[in-house]
Amino acid sequence: MRFSIPRYWRERHSHYRLYAKKCPKCGRVNYPPSNICRYCGSTELEDYYLDSEKAKIISWTIIYPAPEGFEEQRPRIIALLETLETKTHIIAPLADILPEEVKEGLIVEPVLRRIKEDREAGLIHYAIAYRPVIGSIGTNKQ
Amino acid sequence: MRPETSVGIIGWGSYIPRWRLPLSEIAKLWGFAPETPRGLNVVEKAVAGRDEDAVTMGWEAARNALLRAGIDPKEIEAVWFGTESKPYAVKPSATIIAEALGITPDTMATDLEFACRAGSEALRISIGAVASGLVKYALVIGSDTAQANPGDILEFTASSAATALITGPAREAAAVFEASHTYVTDTPDFWRRAHQPYPLHGEGFTGEPAYFHHIVNAVKGLLEQTGLEPNDFDYVVFHQPNGKFPLAVAKRLGFPKEKVLPGLVAPYIGNSYNSSALIGLSRILDIAKPGQRILLAPFGSGAGSDAYSIVVTDKILEKQDKAPKVDDYINRKYLIDYATYAKFRGIITRIR
Repeated sequence: MRFSIPRYWRERHSHYRLYAKKCPKCGRVNYPPSNICRYCGSTELEDYYLDSEKAKIISWTIIYPAPEGFEEQRPRIIALLETLETKTHIIAPLADILPEEVKEGLIVEPVLRRIKEDREAGLIHYAIAYRPVIGSIGTNKQ
Repeated sequence: MRPETSVGIIGWGSYIPRWRLPLSEIAKLWGFAPETPRGLNVVEKAVAGRDEDAVTMGWEAARNALLRAGIDPKEIEAVWFGTESKPYAVKPSATIIAEALGITPDTMATDLEFACRAGSEALRISIGAVASGLVKYALVIGSDTAQANPGDILEFTASSAATALITGPAREAAAVFEASHTYVTDTPDFWRRAHQPYPLHGEGFTGEPAYFHHIVNAVKGLLEQTGLEPNDFDYVVFHQPNGKFPLAVAKRLGFPKEKVLPGLVAPYIGNSYNSSALIGLSRILDIAKPGQRILLAPFGSGAGSDAYSIVVTDKILEKQDKAPKVDDYINRKYLIDYATYAKFRGIITRIR
């Protein structure tokens, strides 16, 4: 067993829903979550889930040498995103997209995906990835 | 008054993966006659990506159903997940989806199994639970990454998709249930033994004594119970193991082809098992008008069928555009070859 079970369980809301903290004072979203607003210092933060927002691609990288456990997802595309409503920056994997289809400004939305698994018999790690909104990229239909 | 009449569909939603395998690829690789796909009336099948499974697809279908329902996820008090391709043999899929959608912890949650009609059994159970007042809303999901032995005729149609329905009080519903009827027997048409990767089936035996016998009797039971006739229905949707059987069973029951086609999704994506009939219903709800009546009859091997009479209300119009429609997902497609499909579905064996 290579996964830390307590850690996966403890972080499940971060992985499944992109758990964050929103500051009612300055309106900014603190992600990763923090108990003190890193923008205005307020300590009265509210729970917020970034999976409620679409986002746009700012930049991305295509990773060909896959780390152990990611061989079947080669190449992985990891993007820097900005959510549309709260303008929060997120780094997340892209899904349902080919390397040549990625472009700056593309609107993407959060989806739950299998990120990796602990060999044949261990836990499956689910988390949020982002994929182009329905209808935004083409087909190869003849 | 029957309990069904106090219950309706508050939200619905589906999901189809982007990847499509043209069935000609299967015919070519395994040496089938080139006209085999045409005989099944299926052109392409939907294939879940390497990062997808019944849980992730069910999650997206449920998210779409929640968008249409417009309710707080915490108000859902039952999550019932019907599948025959659970990512874990032991560990509920329903709890993963419930947690990821913010429904936990004050809810029931479990997985059901009855080949392709586990999701439909969940739907009937949810009607009872809502009608009795045990729960206010129930989330019912049918989701499958259908498996088939490579080279088996079943491989042409075994596909991936999911559909979710949120049931709740009839006064809030986009469509209300009028009546339902279930017909089951012990019929060995299709099975998968423990630890076996692929199901086996009784070839031609899957048709007459299984699919046709159970659907015809479930529908007849419903019609006898309600006094309704085929003419009273605007749309009919049956389990879709291929694009041919639903048209044949409709004809036998006296429904014209025109009432079947709007809910016939199999020709575009194949047989998505627990989502097979439900995605047909989802596609009809995407376009239905108030006052129209729908007959739904899923089927599961082993074997059984449920028949439902569903009447659309005027609340449907405000919900139809709140989430992506079945046709949006049908049109979102990228054709892949057999090798890519084999990799995506774990057919290529490697040491991990």
